[in-house]
Amino acid sequence: MAEYLGVKVDIASNDRARHEFLEAAGEGRLTLQKCVECQKLRYPIMTACPFCMSADSNWEEVSGKGTIYSYELVMHPIHPAYRERAPYPIVLVELDEQREYPTLDDGLRLVSSLVDGSGNPEDIEKVAINARVEVEFADLGDGLALPRFRLSDDVPEHELWRLPS
Amino acid sequence: MNRGGDVAGRLKDKYAIVGIGQTEFSKDSGRTTRALGVEAVRMAMVDAGLRADEVDGMLSYSGNDSTDSPTISSDLGIRLNFYMDVNGGGSSTEALIGLAMGAIEVGMCNTVAIFRAMNGYTEARIGGTGRQTPVFRGASLDQGIYGMNSAGQSFAPSFLRHMYEYGTTSEQVAHVKVAHSKHASNNPKAYYPARVTVEDVLNSRWITKPLHLLDCCVETDNGSALIVTSIERARDLKQMPAVIMGVAGRVSKPQAGYHWTRGPISRVAGHYAAPIVFGQAGIEHADVDVTGSYDAFTFTTTLQLEAYGYCAEGEGGDYVSSGIIELGGARPNNTSGGHLCEGYTHGIALVAENVRQLRHQADDYCPNWQNGEHTYDYSAGGCRQVKGVEITHNLGWASPPTGSSLIMRRP
Repeated sequence: MAEYLGVKVDIASNDRARHEFLEAAGEGRLTLQKCVECQKLRYPIMTACPFCMSADSNWEEVSGKGTIYSYELVMHPIHPAYRERAPYPIVLVELDEQREYPTLDDGLRLVSSLVDGSGNPEDIEKVAINARVEVEFADLGDGLALPRFRLSDDVPEHELWRLPS
Repeated sequence: MNRGGDVAGRLKDKYAIVGIGQTEFSKDSGRTTRALGVEAVRMAMVDAGLRADEVDGMLSYSGNDSTDSPTISSDLGIRLNFYMDVNGGGSSTEALIGLAMGAIEVGMCNTVAIFRAMNGYTEARIGGTGRQTPVFRGASLDQGIYGMNSAGQSFAPSFLRHMYEYGTTSEQVAHVKVAHSKHASNNPKAYYPARVTVEDVLNSRWITKPLHLLDCCVETDNGSALIVTSIERARDLKQMPAVIMGVAGRVSKPQAGYHWTRGPISRVAGHYAAPIVFGQAGIEHADVDVTGSYDAFTFTTTLQLEAYGYCAEGEGGDYVSSGIIELGGARPNNTSGGHLCEGYTHGIALVAENVRQLRHQADDYCPNWQNGEHTYDYSAGGCRQVKGVEITHNLGWASPPTGSSLIMRRP
């Protein structure tokens, strides 16, 4: 049975795309749906292309590299799985692929966790907008894994910004 | 300006809110949502001077935490020609007012009661009650599994991005709480009537940065109701009608669900609702005397006022900290104290408050408020009626990518 942080992960048997996404993650690959017609990537998992309405897509592996576009630092956890993990960051990661599409303000942005080398929540003092990150995978069991991110050594394109304390 | 299609003013001034009713705001109602809903609808009918056989439509919204229209109407002996109970939280009120107008316009019914009844503290809390066995499934694998489980946690990245892009500060948005607490101090119904300072907000504990405890609204048990009918019928009823000039319902950003991929994420749905509602009403911002910008959080009020054009993009922090939104300022916001201080019923109470303002009957501590007599002394325990209100604007919020809007005026 798949689980994460002690909580059951229950994927509906008819939700094939989600199985495939998490199976690829289980093999260490971050894959996104790519439209067969307009060739655009999309996230999260969708059943049609938001840019051209095509119902057909393939999975495409992406670099897993990106930049923190925004974040928050949860000090008062609510979910039972996170009670022992606070304070913890939630990050909005903008992937390097397909930035500024379909407008300059848009991009492939993933809500995710920022973790340290041990898979624990990253030190909240280190979290910053514009910080560079790379994907890593948390084992869920059953051959599935969950994509998460950790800080990378890449040089940021823009100056780091943190919430003033 | 894109006026949102062929909508400009076709139903302007043809419908009105004629009755309002509210139970007390508490954290221990000790009653069912059925009892709360019935009391609120009954109070709104009494307020309007309507008998059971004069209401024939009913609408409600909930997140499966309410009691439905067939039950509420039956308890009151109302036979309905039209009803719907829709799934939805914030910003549903204004949308349902528009649907009520449409239902009456096409002849399905004549007079519609709209209600929201919730035990928002004792039964169904926003972040969950922790009573269910947790499981990650479906769309929770996109957000919830990463520890993003409450409204505040879901909205916070949009708020932080606004701070990054425009230099908006915690201190600036704290003024929303300060202003609304000032208003609540003159509202006998308010759950939190005490005035607070900017320092109180900044010194309150962190919930999820950038949100302090006092940036977040109160959760309460409450039932509230409104009654919508045509302006012709409204003229025969007991109260001065709040005439509907324009309404926009659940307008969304380019991606309404997982909205972060489409930006700017600090620009909220009001950006798209503004041309519709201002286009219908045919007014400008300067014509609006009172706003009701949904304050689930200090930031939601700020970002909506900005999105609707009450200030330039990026200047929301300056706007809410300038004194404009306080009683005594040029355009007070949420004169009841709003969700931050009065209580929380997913926005319906904010519309009821603007109806009171238009009637010049804010139920403050002025002895003869019912006669429209006010001191306009906004000291604590005093008045909360804005002088000479002619036009109000409600800015309903569901989430950064979904909002609604309602402009009303005195007859």
